[in-house]
Amino acid sequence: MEPLPPADDAALTAELGAALRESGSVPEEFLTAARAAFAWRDVDQEVALAELMFDSACDTAPALTRSAGSTRTLSFRSAVVALEIEVSDAGIVGQLSPPRGGRVSAQTASGTYAEAPVDAVGFFSLGAPPPGPVRLRAHTGGYVVATTWVSLR
Amino acid sequence: MPRRPTDGVAVTDPSTTGLVAAAAGGDESAWVELVHRYTPLVYSVIRSYDLSRADAADVNQTVWLRLVEQLSRVRDPQALASWLATTARRECYRLSRLGRRTQLFDPYDDALDAYHGFSRTTDVAAPDEELLRAERRQALREGFAQLPPRCQQLLALLTADPPASYREVAERLSVPVGSIGPTQARCLRRLRDCPALAPFLGTTATRTNGGERDGAVAAGR
Repeated sequence: MEPLPPADDAALTAELGAALRESGSVPEEFLTAARAAFAWRDVDQEVALAELMFDSACDTAPALTRSAGSTRTLSFRSAVVALEIEVSDAGIVGQLSPPRGGRVSAQTASGTYAEAPVDAVGFFSLGAPPPGPVRLRAHTGGYVVATTWVSLR
Repeated sequence: MPRRPTDGVAVTDPSTTGLVAAAAGGDESAWVELVHRYTPLVYSVIRSYDLSRADAADVNQTVWLRLVEQLSRVRDPQALASWLATTARRECYRLSRLGRRTQLFDPYDDALDAYHGFSRTTDVAAPDEELLRAERRQALREGFAQLPPRCQQLLALLTADPPASYREVAERLSVPVGSIGPTQARCLRRLRDCPALAPFLGTTATRTNGGERDGAVAAGR
């Protein structure tokens, strides 16, 4: 690739043109979705963010045994909470640790689609997620945590 | 064309740093400006992957939701373009794997406890040419947005598809034909000097000034 800026004015002009046209080529639905994402800003600073640490769909872990099942495993971590979920056609089963009871809700960009209680050992189960980015939020006796957004299907 | 800072919404600090801070504080107009500035970058990264339209839209939505959740945590707003491109790339990879997954992970294997998630970096290979190109075009748009309005008007006409001739530009801007070439060279020089382009400066880059005759710009593309 040529160093930027191109040594030649004509090349720079051409590249600038391509860059400016690119900004006009973004489909309206992409812009709309990007603008709408702002509604999900977490005003509550008490909500911990659990980052995605592992996704069996795309992280390779050579040391681990693989099975022939159709379950996808994701692992989220915040400073105080670990959340493991398994996603299959049947739905989501997950476990929060440490277990502190409470409820888990599953959200898409259009709102909460499912909610379930967390049992004494931190287990919960939810219906199959719709396509597109989803996040789980747990309100428990000890913490409030939300996972990072990720497409589960 | 990027909006000039004087247009539209009342964003007091048009720098990315200021926009991120304002958006983190709840200023939706700052968020709209960030979206306006960076969707072309995100879109161009997504387009470089062979995804379905629905998958592409999901990646785009995921990237922006991620930025919303990270707004108050952004440590280096100047690196936002790079963060967005990398996030888009990673999510494209994730969705491409979802479509044709063959290797699955055994959730009951207790080796998971020893796993620290470092492979998050392994799905992001060294930035390839397309990613660099996308970031470079983003830098060009940012540099363009910082040019004086007169330079923006001139360069917008000369970079149009098809480009305006020097004669047409002279008529549109009511300036002598003879001034177009030197003005273009001066505007391009300002563009090159823009801080946004600094990370992309090649050490071997040399500058040639103007000298373009009417129509030579078109021949260069």
